[in-house]
Amino acid sequence: MRAALADAVRRLRAAPGRAALAAAGIVAAAAMLGAGVTVSYGLTTGFERSAQQADLPDVLARFGDEEREEVEERVAALPNLEQRTYRYEETSVPLSANGESSEDGVIHAVRGERRGYAILEGRDVTADDLDGAVVERGVAQEWDLEVGDTISSGSQISWEIVGIGVSPDNVAYPLASSLRIYVSGPALEEAFDFVLPVNMALLWSTEPERTDVLLQQARANSYGLSDLRFITREGVEVAVGEAAGIVIALLVAFSIVALAAAGAMLATAAHADVQRRLGTIGIQRAVGMDRRAVAVGFAASGAVLAAPAGVLGLALGTLVAAGPTGALLLTLNELPPGGALVGPLLLAWLVVVAVVALASGWPAWRAAGRPIVGLLRGSEVARPRAARGLSRGPFGLGLRLALGRPARLGGTALVLAACTAVVTLMLALASLLVDLSDDPASLGKRYELTAQLDADSAPDVRALPGVEAATPRYELDATASFQLGQPVRLIGFEGDHVPFEAPPLADGRRLDPDADGLPEAEVGAGLAEALGLAPGSTLAVQLPDGVEERFRVVGVVRALDNDGRVAYVPADTVSQAADESAIAVKLTDGASQAAVQAGLIDLGAADAGEAEAATTDDAAFLATLAALLRAVALVNGLVCLYALMQALALTARERRGTIAVLRATGAGRGHVALLLGGVVAAATIPAVVAGLALQRWALGPATADLAAGYADLQLTAAGAQAAGVAVGVALLAAFASWWVARRTTREPVVVGLREE
Amino acid sequence: MEVLSARGLVKVHGRGRAARRVLDGASLSVTPGEVVAVVGRSGSGKSTLLHLVGGLDRADAGEITLAGERVDRLRERDLTRLRGRAAGFVFQFFHLVPELSGAENVELPARLPGAPAGALRRARTLVERLELGHVADRLPHELSGGEQQRFAVARALVHDPPVILADEPTGNLDPQAAQIVLGLLRAAADEGRAVLLVTHEAAATAIADRVVRLQDGVLVADPALRAVPERLGA
Repeated sequence: MRAALADAVRRLRAAPGRAALAAAGIVAAAAMLGAGVTVSYGLTTGFERSAQQADLPDVLARFGDEEREEVEERVAALPNLEQRTYRYEETSVPLSANGESSEDGVIHAVRGERRGYAILEGRDVTADDLDGAVVERGVAQEWDLEVGDTISSGSQISWEIVGIGVSPDNVAYPLASSLRIYVSGPALEEAFDFVLPVNMALLWSTEPERTDVLLQQARANSYGLSDLRFITREGVEVAVGEAAGIVIALLVAFSIVALAAAGAMLATAAHADVQRRLGTIGIQRAVGMDRRAVAVGFAASGAVLAAPAGVLGLALGTLVAAGPTGALLLTLNELPPGGALVGPLLLAWLVVVAVVALASGWPAWRAAGRPIVGLLRGSEVARPRAARGLSRGPFGLGLRLALGRPARLGGTALVLAACTAVVTLMLALASLLVDLSDDPASLGKRYELTAQLDADSAPDVRALPGVEAATPRYELDATASFQLGQPVRLIGFEGDHVPFEAPPLADGRRLDPDADGLPEAEVGAGLAEALGLAPGSTLAVQLPDGVEERFRVVGVVRALDNDGRVAYVPADTVSQAADESAIAVKLTDGASQAAVQAGLIDLGAADAGEAEAATTDDAAFLATLAALLRAVALVNGLVCLYALMQALALTARERRGTIAVLRATGAGRGHVALLLGGVVAAATIPAVVAGLALQRWALGPATADLAAGYADLQLTAAGAQAAGVAVGVALLAAFASWWVARRTTREPVVVGLREE
Repeated sequence: MEVLSARGLVKVHGRGRAARRVLDGASLSVTPGEVVAVVGRSGSGKSTLLHLVGGLDRADAGEITLAGERVDRLRERDLTRLRGRAAGFVFQFFHLVPELSGAENVELPARLPGAPAGALRRARTLVERLELGHVADRLPHELSGGEQQRFAVARALVHDPPVILADEPTGNLDPQAAQIVLGLLRAAADEGRAVLLVTHEAAATAIADRVVRLQDGVLVADPALRAVPERLGA
């Protein structure tokens, strides 16, 4: 093995230019891998990592203010309970520090050993810490606070910031409108000589996978507690993800698809390199090397090249993606992976080296099995029947030349197709992200405005000029009765919901709001999958007030909202307990939205905004997302552009000998450029077609499925985008042809002849 | 009247201490209908001389005239035009384009825009005349060395150039194939073309009207070699 490696190093040194070009390709593909691994690993593991580090409870219960002893008595009797602690939460507290202030402060008076948040800097507050407070990282970042600074509530109470903490039970300030600080409950009680009530219980299960049991009993024991709401870890993850969950899922899916594309590029490039060296294989076999030795030699060359190039590429990709990924995690109150990323990166490096070694060794093994004389005489050249009609003029000749070596052409076309597909996918993704934040139709909404008005106002709204239809819409977050950890969003429209909001129907039929018997429901595919529902089954949910409602599932819809954990139900089942109720307003074609909004305000609407889309429209958060997308797109886009140029330039460069012969027979620079244009066209035309098809029918659906298999995401490039990519590749091909033609015709003909 | 002439050609390969003066004032002239053979040992600069007079490379000093035009003064664009009009090349390693059949290689110069009228017809005629019709559709790797070189000679003649420049045209051929190729070159000269033949094989000089030896960078007449064809009864 040592001899093979030494031989590989010698071989690479003998052709430094070619080795450098191949290494640059590996660096580029590895950079894509690095960026993909950083984004996908960082984001997919973000919540779990942070929850673990923050010791997030398995169940978080909120209720009206109660005496701690009263609550403790009920909680202590719960089964499967490992530990519990209580907090008192005071909202709408004015907070100020470092010249900044907010009326939307939240103070958590904490107690006990387990706190449910992680300390990132400084220390936690202790039981006798009257003057100390822990502030959330988002607040510290936004207000530029450090340990030792002071934060005040009004003009009376000030705390010294003793620590900076993070809890993934909510997104960070300012994405979350309120800002949170933690102070010591016992110290407050002692200082002011009174007993604080509690309104939050943090519960840790002995067996987290059986949190259900704990929840069931907790509900049973909760009689008399007002405004009781439970949220599990899974529920927290869904709720936190609502702001950007789908976008993150898309980014992760895109990164995974880019990983596959980078792998394909690596393999194809290494394979193509072996095709270029078939003559060498023939000589090696002729002088007595066996097949195994030839294959091992090529594999070792590939590995020797890939090892350092892979490290460099992965480092570059990680470097570019780590910053924006960390920024996004910060806004979600999640922690960056830090040293944990080393493992996946090491695995990615091994994959890079293995892919290159295999993709070099395998074709060498196959080639070494061919007749030696054929290898020496260039038997890779085929007689393309389809090319007979193309042999007129330099361009046609170029096509002929390319078609004459189908294996090389195939390899080049595959790399170009992968690049085209990834670049097109990026554009499609960018469009989809805009739709998700701008377009309510991404959630299946067919109404344009939402008015905060009583249900009784619906007839008045319908009478407004420019309004086609209007109906009350109710929304309510509940939990599944049989699996209490599973959140369910119930959406109810008065009358038929289809004209107003109707994600595509995947199975069954639409609900009939007036059906006899058990009320009907259309459930999201995400919910159907989580609870094992199908048309005909029963959906049982517990409403926040403890009341259970049951529905007969009649249809499954591909809804995007709330990770697909939604159910469309008759309005009367949710109207009483709804968290949100408003009038959904459909406009007539050409109606002025502003005029209708003004009319709604005149009717007394507290708010008359546009219908919500799938993601938050918080500008700062979208800017963070855009930065991450830009970083990923920058790496992938640049790598694809490089791969395009490399493939085209390499194809053209291989033809220097042929060009020299042509020049010797009287061809000028224009002829050479045309010939090269033909050569690269033979690769780019099928590659662009295949790349666009690959994006439309494979990568797009695969990415959408990976991101949100429960919904109906359209990740297809628009015609203009596809045309733009095609034109871009054509321009690149033209540039590559012109560049190589210029270079080769500047050197004496004899230089090219020596290469032939 | 000479159709090809060179005066005081200088060419240095390499730089600094590695520099080697391959041609050091070499001069030569070839008239229509004449075959001039340049001999010399390997590395003496024979191929370099051929490349310079054919405009495939630039000389460091000296004058070259090809078909009435000063090669050493032409810009690349004009040099291209001159090669397409006035010179046909035959190489030791044939340099057939591997993806094209033998016949398509011959047609190559005829397909270039600006090729003389009738060049394509002439290409087909040449293939038949050189008795290559039965292998015309084969790819180069399916042809024998002799067949490849005959296609190469046909390619050099397609645009009917006044000068043929042949670089070791028999260097890779067996004696029988070599004789056929040399016969073709002689025939080309007999049709009124000037043929400059670079070779290190004494037998190849048999078709030459004049033999010059490249020695220490200059060309000198070689009467001893000229005697070979006479001794062979040519």
